[in-house]
Amino acid sequence: MKKLSLMAAAIVIVAQVQAQEQVRHIAPANPVVADKDVNSQPIPRLPDGTIDITGPWFGGGSNGDIEREGGLKPGELPLLPWARELKSKRVPKDEPYTACLPMGVPRVNPYPWKFAMTYTAKGLTHIYQLHETGDAGAHRVIYMDGRKHPEDPIPTWWGHSIGRFEKDALVIDTIGYNDKFWFDSRGTPHSEQLHTIERWTRINFGRMTHQFTIDDPGAFSRTVTLNFTASLIRPGIKDGEDLLEFICLEDNQYGAAAGIEGVGSGK
Amino acid sequence: MKTTVENPKSQIPNPKNRIPKRFGFWVLGFGICVCLSLAPVLAHHGFDTEYDAKKKVKLEGVVTQVAWTNPHMRVYIDVTGADGKVVNWNLELTSPNRIRRQGWGPRDLVPGEKVIFEGYGGKVVESRGSLLSIRKAGSETYLFEEGKEDADAAAAEGRPVPAR
Repeated sequence: MKKLSLMAAAIVIVAQVQAQEQVRHIAPANPVVADKDVNSQPIPRLPDGTIDITGPWFGGGSNGDIEREGGLKPGELPLLPWARELKSKRVPKDEPYTACLPMGVPRVNPYPWKFAMTYTAKGLTHIYQLHETGDAGAHRVIYMDGRKHPEDPIPTWWGHSIGRFEKDALVIDTIGYNDKFWFDSRGTPHSEQLHTIERWTRINFGRMTHQFTIDDPGAFSRTVTLNFTASLIRPGIKDGEDLLEFICLEDNQYGAAAGIEGVGSGK
Repeated sequence: MKTTVENPKSQIPNPKNRIPKRFGFWVLGFGICVCLSLAPVLAHHGFDTEYDAKKKVKLEGVVTQVAWTNPHMRVYIDVTGADGKVVNWNLELTSPNRIRRQGWGPRDLVPGEKVIFEGYGGKVVESRGSLLSIRKAGSETYLFEEGKEDADAAAAEGRPVPAR
């Protein structure tokens, strides 16, 4: 009987881990530069000396559980009570992302993405963050031309981002977010007061760290900083070393197998 | 519905004579754990909301459409039941891009080909399933296996290859 209990417990643990994995929406790894090869080449630089952070990259943000993936222990994310309660009530079918709406910052799904650095006669004026999937075909703009944030921005999915290089780190300051996207598939919320600071540092050929600061007095009791790492997609992969086309709304049948209607409501 | 039925008992010599009494008990437990670990994970959204891990099927049929569509690719297969009734299964995979990176191309499977596949049925509409593996009839080579990409990546990176 004791062994039966032990076995039942083992099965329950495995089932719980699996269920948790499924809820997290974690998918298998993409082909990235292996740990042993991260220093196999020097960090590339652009002709003007700027560090090349183009990528494509895999990871470097949240997806299933921002608290865990960002390096915090369970319960450490300083959500205000209302936000914690909202998170506990959210269910996977309501996730906006499942209806092909954008993931928002700092979320990255298990597909490649890149920083597209755009030069004009004035130098590096814009960086576009492009996701292969999950952003509903949209792109995020980071203004690098020295402009300031608008005083009264319209709340949007990606907000208003201005960036600068501090030595070799790209620092992105963003305000003007809407409160519609979820930080992860567990439904971690935020408010329209959200202000984020991203610090991206390519530490070697194959890896780039991401220090992500959340400043949101509407949903968090204090400022909090999370840490992620992005991996470079392995160069030379057949039919896949660069971003491929993805039109999310083409044939999204999410919910039909379970008879669910109204997915992605964002409730 | 033409379901492949395997009878493990017919392949095992009288276990009571050669195997410790509780061996089968632990094998059963291990098997359940392995089955749970093989439940597929979809990249654009989770598995649990739509599919039932208890509704695992292994079927034969004829491909009617291979849809390289977003957000997830789908394969449609006519399966003829024992009563002669044909059910068109709609099987979900992951994104076409991920499938492409796994090595499967648009010429590798076309309508009219006979296939054997495994998957999990939909919670409400059983024939809307999640594809676990698929191969052409008479071939032992799988066109798609859930987890293959993970295993390939691990092998390339020198990490232990995870169980499929």
